[in-house]
Amino acid sequence: MLRTFLTAGILISAGAFLAAIVTADDISARARKLHFSSIVVDTHDDTTQRLLDGKFDLGVRNDTGSIDIPRMKEGGLGAIFFSIWIPSKVTGPEAVHRAMTQIDAVREQVRKHPKDLLLATTAAEVREARKQGKIAALMGVEGGHMINSNLGVLRSFAALGVRYMTITHSGNDEWADSSTDKAVHNGLTEFGKDVVREMNRLGVMVDISHVSDKTFYDVLETSKAPPFASHSSCRAICDAPRNMTDQMMKDLAAKGGVVQINYHVGFLNQEYRQRATPEIAIQLREEVQKHCAGDDEGCQLIEGERVTREFVAQGKLPKVEYTAIIEHIDHAVKVAGIDHVGLGSDFDGANMPFGMEDATKLPKITEALLQKGYSEGDVRKILGENTLRVMTEVERVSRELNGGK
Amino acid sequence: MTRFSRRFATCLCLCAVLLAGSRLSAPASADDVAERAKKLHFSSIVLDTHDDTTQRFFAKGYDIAKRNPDGHVDIPRMIDGGMNAIFFSIWIDGRIMGPPAVQKALDQIDAVHENVRKNSRDMVLCRTAAEVREAHKQGKIAALIGVEGGHMIGNDIHVLRMFGDLGVRYMTLSHFYNDEWADSSTDKPVHNGLTDFGKDIVREMNRQGIMVDISHVSDKTFYDALEVSKAPLIASHSSCRALCNHPRDMSDDMIKALAGKGGVIQINYERSFIDQAYKDASDKLTGGVVAQFDLFKKECGDDQECFGRKMAEKQKQAMEEGKLPHVSWERIIDHIDHAVKLVGADHVGLGSDFDGADMPEGMEDCTKLPKITEALMRKGYSDENIRKILGGNTLRVMEQTEKVSRELQAQ
Repeated sequence: MLRTFLTAGILISAGAFLAAIVTADDISARARKLHFSSIVVDTHDDTTQRLLDGKFDLGVRNDTGSIDIPRMKEGGLGAIFFSIWIPSKVTGPEAVHRAMTQIDAVREQVRKHPKDLLLATTAAEVREARKQGKIAALMGVEGGHMINSNLGVLRSFAALGVRYMTITHSGNDEWADSSTDKAVHNGLTEFGKDVVREMNRLGVMVDISHVSDKTFYDVLETSKAPPFASHSSCRAICDAPRNMTDQMMKDLAAKGGVVQINYHVGFLNQEYRQRATPEIAIQLREEVQKHCAGDDEGCQLIEGERVTREFVAQGKLPKVEYTAIIEHIDHAVKVAGIDHVGLGSDFDGANMPFGMEDATKLPKITEALLQKGYSEGDVRKILGENTLRVMTEVERVSRELNGGK
Repeated sequence: MTRFSRRFATCLCLCAVLLAGSRLSAPASADDVAERAKKLHFSSIVLDTHDDTTQRFFAKGYDIAKRNPDGHVDIPRMIDGGMNAIFFSIWIDGRIMGPPAVQKALDQIDAVHENVRKNSRDMVLCRTAAEVREAHKQGKIAALIGVEGGHMIGNDIHVLRMFGDLGVRYMTLSHFYNDEWADSSTDKPVHNGLTDFGKDIVREMNRQGIMVDISHVSDKTFYDALEVSKAPLIASHSSCRALCNHPRDMSDDMIKALAGKGGVIQINYERSFIDQAYKDASDKLTGGVVAQFDLFKKECGDDQECFGRKMAEKQKQAMEEGKLPHVSWERIIDHIDHAVKLVGADHVGLGSDFDGADMPEGMEDCTKLPKITEALMRKGYSDENIRKILGGNTLRVMEQTEKVSRELQAQ
């Protein structure tokens, strides 16, 4: 309790300090050069939901949301993992079908924007995209429920280009416990372990964001390749079950993994988390529902962001600055080491802090890290090289498990 | 009518043999032909566009790598029969629709991928004609995938594209039953052919380079598809209605129209599609192909082994009781020859329906395929034309489909 309080206090004052010296238009020439010559990889973007609403165009600059091609270019985002996501409560063939639909939506965007996007399934292809001046589009499946307890579906997802799978989403699936559900499997079931092994063989990264601590440790023990957390922050700073404890981050790092810091205000800031009570959540949902149909996920995420900001303006929720992201990165680096931290924004799927409204703001992260005294090499690692290293290692393990083929 | 047609066809055959014979400087001896045919067959790409072997991947005891005592296809027998390119059919009952259909189709696509992966010394998954040729060069069997029925896309164009990306290279627009957007030849028409969405499906298949297969569809659906498609169509496993008046077969007009657009009819070896007497007797006995299918379906559910066993038992019994006539493999040659006479050698190929149909006597499994080459040679077909029928024509349609796809994607 005391620790949490103190951490939050430090966070707020540090945030205020940094915010005073870095603004969107105030990126040093050095930071700009470093940022735009680095491969910036974001391992979690929920933009896929918007691709299916029939109104959204990834190719033009949009007034809403955080991601589109013009803004990715402006923010120097070089590689993006489009998240394939449906709610945990949708299971069985319905889940498989809807996941396929989303995978196609991503692949169609690549077909429609061949000058700007390249579908990448390996670290080498991400680098190749950069060489060609294109953004690497990758895919991650956010929740094991989408394979319908069927390794064949997992293999089909992999064949279609999916390069990570989050073991669960907010609810338990048939074979793994989630961090935000009541534990029923005691971590991973035996089948769950088979899923992890098959992911290793297929070269699909094992993502432990969202899973229960026990599931995390089961994965760590089972996986032959380094797991990663595609979008999780530090529990020591913000005590959300979706975040990782210092010990978990150390153990992840010991296996070569990476924690990709999530920018969601509720995962960054303890005060926000405490004030975002169930009552506030209900109010928020009711406001959103006034403007969105029940199943329009794309609308809900955009409206959710707008209403949240209204609540902040009304003083119902605290204002969280983007500098909180830097605090989490810095904490994770101190705990797990510079080789084990990256970026997993949760753009278009979460409430962004002030100053990190969209992908155009990403150079501020580079600027802030340089100001904190990080070396250029270290900043590059955080921006994307660590993730590319995990991908390369996952590919090597896959080749090995396939008998060198 | 049928008898007349057949007699007419036989007469044409005789003429062709005589003509072909006269072109040869000296008539070849029987042994010469056998030897030449063998050489030709085993140096050709023999591409079969329809095999239901996929269903067997789910049966206990079946191993494609070993010689099996039953069924029609496995690797050792494919090697024996020189069948070096095969379309594995993805098939589920046409009454299963929506997400469960998508799931089951995915299971089967994965089963093909897995069987190819586990036998990668002998087989390689191919998506293009060039890849089939490359597999042939490497001495491997080219494995391809066709989806037999539009119901498996769950009425969702996204799923169609994903099937394409998973390697599916043709889709039959319907199976025995109408789907949500196309009428079947063995169901009561409700869509008047293809719906507007069905036309969009065909256009998207063109764009994705997935061949449009018109086997199983109603005549109106066929003509709608022919009008909409920018790429040539195939009938992956249909024979000639002029020789056997079955709705699953194609009329002469249809075959001509198909050929006119560069397509290919792949002759099906199923007894009731190639022999009128057998079809008539079988209809009398079981009420037709769909009724028979439904009967076994009721008894066996999803158990494909049970399905095959019951079908074989029932057929054997009927044969013994003299209720079903014998059908010779030579009927296949009659159908090939009829189609060639009608539209030329560029528009006919092989779509056996192995592991999914009753084979005629003498074509018990894929080891018997060299007999087709020899029979065509004896009929006077040129080596070049035989190669076309064995696989060259299908490869040409694949290449054309790929070209149309590239053009549409560049737009």
